[in-house]
Amino acid sequence: MKPAKERTSLWAKAWYKFRRDRIGMASLGVVLVYLLVALGVWLGLWGQGWSQVDGPMWAPPGPDYWLGTNIIGQDIFERAIYSTRTAFEVGLVVAVLSTLLGGLLGALAGYFSNRWADELILWLMGVLDAIPFFLFVAALAYALQGNPYAMHIAMIATFWTTTARLVRGEVIKLKNFEFVEAARAIGLPRRLIIFRHILPNTFHILLVQATIVFVGAIKSEVILSFLGLGVTDGVSWGLMIAESTQEVQAGHFSNFVTASTFLFVLVMAFNMFSDALQDALDPRKVST
Amino acid sequence: MRLRPLHLPILLFLLLAACSDGPDTAGLKIYRHSLGGTPTSLDPVQSATVYANHVVVNVYDTLYAYKYLARPYELKPNLAEAMPEVSDDGLVYTIRIKRGVHFIDDPCFPGGKGREVTAADFVYSMKRHFDPKSRSQGSWLWAGKIKGMEAWKRAGADYGKEVEGLRALDRYTIRILLTRPCPQLVHTLAQGFSAIVPREAVEHYGREFSVHPVGSGPFRLQTFDSVRAVLVRNEKYRREPIDLAYEGYDPKVHDPYGIAGIQGRIPPLVDRLEIHFVKESLSRWNSFTKGDEIQFATIPRELLDEVLLKKQPEVVLKARYARNYFYTSGLENGFVHTDFNMKDPGIGYHPDPEREKRNHALRCAIRYAFDWAERNRTFYNDMGQVFPGIIPPVVPEYDPQAPKDSITHDPEKARKLLAEAGWTAENLPELTYGGVASVSSRQMFEQFRGWLTRIGYPKEKILFDSYASFGDYNKAVKQAKIMIVGMGWGLDYPDAENTLQLFYGPNGSPGSNASNFDDPEYNRLYELSSVMQPSPERTAIYRKMNRIVQDACVTISGLSRRYILLWHRNVVSFPDQSIVGGFHLKYVDVLPGRDGE
Repeated sequence: MKPAKERTSLWAKAWYKFRRDRIGMASLGVVLVYLLVALGVWLGLWGQGWSQVDGPMWAPPGPDYWLGTNIIGQDIFERAIYSTRTAFEVGLVVAVLSTLLGGLLGALAGYFSNRWADELILWLMGVLDAIPFFLFVAALAYALQGNPYAMHIAMIATFWTTTARLVRGEVIKLKNFEFVEAARAIGLPRRLIIFRHILPNTFHILLVQATIVFVGAIKSEVILSFLGLGVTDGVSWGLMIAESTQEVQAGHFSNFVTASTFLFVLVMAFNMFSDALQDALDPRKVST
Repeated sequence: MRLRPLHLPILLFLLLAACSDGPDTAGLKIYRHSLGGTPTSLDPVQSATVYANHVVVNVYDTLYAYKYLARPYELKPNLAEAMPEVSDDGLVYTIRIKRGVHFIDDPCFPGGKGREVTAADFVYSMKRHFDPKSRSQGSWLWAGKIKGMEAWKRAGADYGKEVEGLRALDRYTIRILLTRPCPQLVHTLAQGFSAIVPREAVEHYGREFSVHPVGSGPFRLQTFDSVRAVLVRNEKYRREPIDLAYEGYDPKVHDPYGIAGIQGRIPPLVDRLEIHFVKESLSRWNSFTKGDEIQFATIPRELLDEVLLKKQPEVVLKARYARNYFYTSGLENGFVHTDFNMKDPGIGYHPDPEREKRNHALRCAIRYAFDWAERNRTFYNDMGQVFPGIIPPVVPEYDPQAPKDSITHDPEKARKLLAEAGWTAENLPELTYGGVASVSSRQMFEQFRGWLTRIGYPKEKILFDSYASFGDYNKAVKQAKIMIVGMGWGLDYPDAENTLQLFYGPNGSPGSNASNFDDPEYNRLYELSSVMQPSPERTAIYRKMNRIVQDACVTISGLSRRYILLWHRNVVSFPDQSIVGGFHLKYVDVLPGRDGE
């Protein structure tokens, strides 16, 4: 491995730094294991028996049902595995779309700062941030009754604002740099200046922000599904925890412990991965 | 203003005062009842739920009521002086009401003094059901039965105009003319729907009338919100001593509950009746077992094993609970069932007779896939009673010997039926199963889907159609939007006619016939039997109708749930959640001593 000082790009330096972060690497490993599990479910390799009701009611953990069964005889392990796919689906869709939206609107607001476009976007962000999240989701779920993506839409509509604020600040800084002035001087259209020259320089923010949104989306999905506003078809850890509220009183903890553990490990790992990524991509720390 | 040390005790006092029942309850005899839902309206014409009925029959008067303790249920006069005089042809009912009964004092009356209840008030209250402005939910009870009522409605529902079949002959005499005999008429006059309201209050309060009842019942409403209704004794309520023998007292059944002590006393027996609306069964249980909060509850499903020593054949409480609480149990006056919406061409009636035959096979196959024993075990603690068809075990017309094929779980037969009708995984229609967005509802759907996948139904073709609340779900059912409808029905009166009407064609959506079943022979038999007095002939017709519904595979039915009701030992009561419903609350007494001891 070549020493860091021989590298020149920010990405190469960041990767070098990230690899030296043991906690970051370990958490990335955990996230990759979850991703592998989710991919396996997508490809139909495992977790396909989540809906079968063949088992006995509330069977304890054993060789047939590793983590036991729920009240209607469904295999809790299978359901937890399948829920990984649900979590990744929600996390990825919300992270990608809200980051794109936040990046785009943040860049526009930053480039046209103190002009009407900026004012409009800032006003919109202010309005959306002022609405309590769960009330907003409940209202949207009601308005889009029957739409399985009501939850995704609500999350995207609220999560983009933080990304947009960060990107806006960065773009305001970048647009006064010489390379942007040079681009302007040679007569490049604004569209190219924003999207080819400025926005790529905010990718480190977008990447970190996407990981934070990913975790936020997973947590929100669990809460919303618990409240009956989330997943409408399929299963998720939130639904499993919602089921367990009736079961724990009767002394059956497997649903609760399994779903909570799966969620806890992924969220912890993703948070640590996100922290490590943030450290690695911080230009002030990378250059040292 | 700055907060000084002196302010703190005052604030604390105010805070504590806000947490108590208030100084006005000191020395009062209070009974705290609980229900699992909140009434949406206290207007009798909209009192379609058991929750609303509990309040309505206690603040208003009905002409008839059910005897407190008699089982099977028996009617008795309430505001009426006696049982009605019925003409030989069963078409003319003459009812005299008690004199000197007054509505509560209320600003809607001149001078704020409640006036006397008259026969004209009953006529007005019944007419409201047929006034479109009232948005009645109970008009189906009398639709097409009272002579001239439909014409009155069509002519613009003018209260100044008389209805031929519903008249006040004088201040205290009512005459009802029917278009055809209706043996259940007196039962309908014991429903909250038929409660008697004063016209002044309806006009004075307008929309607010739904939360501002003005009646002549044993209690008057003090406060009402989504959490509780507080009722206080109506001091003007007529003084009629309790005659236990008349009410159906049976020492073997009622002695252990201390009911003998209320003999000769004048209801209501408590000064203040609080009805707490607690949706979460565990919260209700916690409040109940705390000792000084609600005094009546049911056992949450999750805690049955913890509380019960024995579930079958009779319910027995564990000693530590039996020490603290009285209890009673029995089969509910109703049943749960899952209907197929016959208006949906995907599974019901179809213009193509061939497809309709295949749909019939499909419905029967789904019914054979349904595992009632499993459903009973998982959702009803193995305590419900599964029975074939739509005549539940609590009514006298129930046939214990009826064939059980419609409740037999037979996946092999289901697969065979599908194959014979040419159904394959590719051409089977998409099914939508309706329900509210709750854990239990979703699990019932998942269990249903699991059974269907076992007979070869593709999982992705069975979808859950969820609704935010029961109100939204019910609205969709009334609009015939849901393909497979899970329903529960509580009997309005103890006669199988009340369940058979659920499948009578003209009662289709938005009526009570959620399946929209419309079979000419069934309809004919229903019309024939609905004018007959109870008799072996009528029972035979009822059973024939029951068979038609089963043969048509229009519903997966049914199961009557077992209820267990508990109340504190210092409460003298014999509670009933359904038919007698709220009527029993005026007989509830509370003995001195700490709650729950």
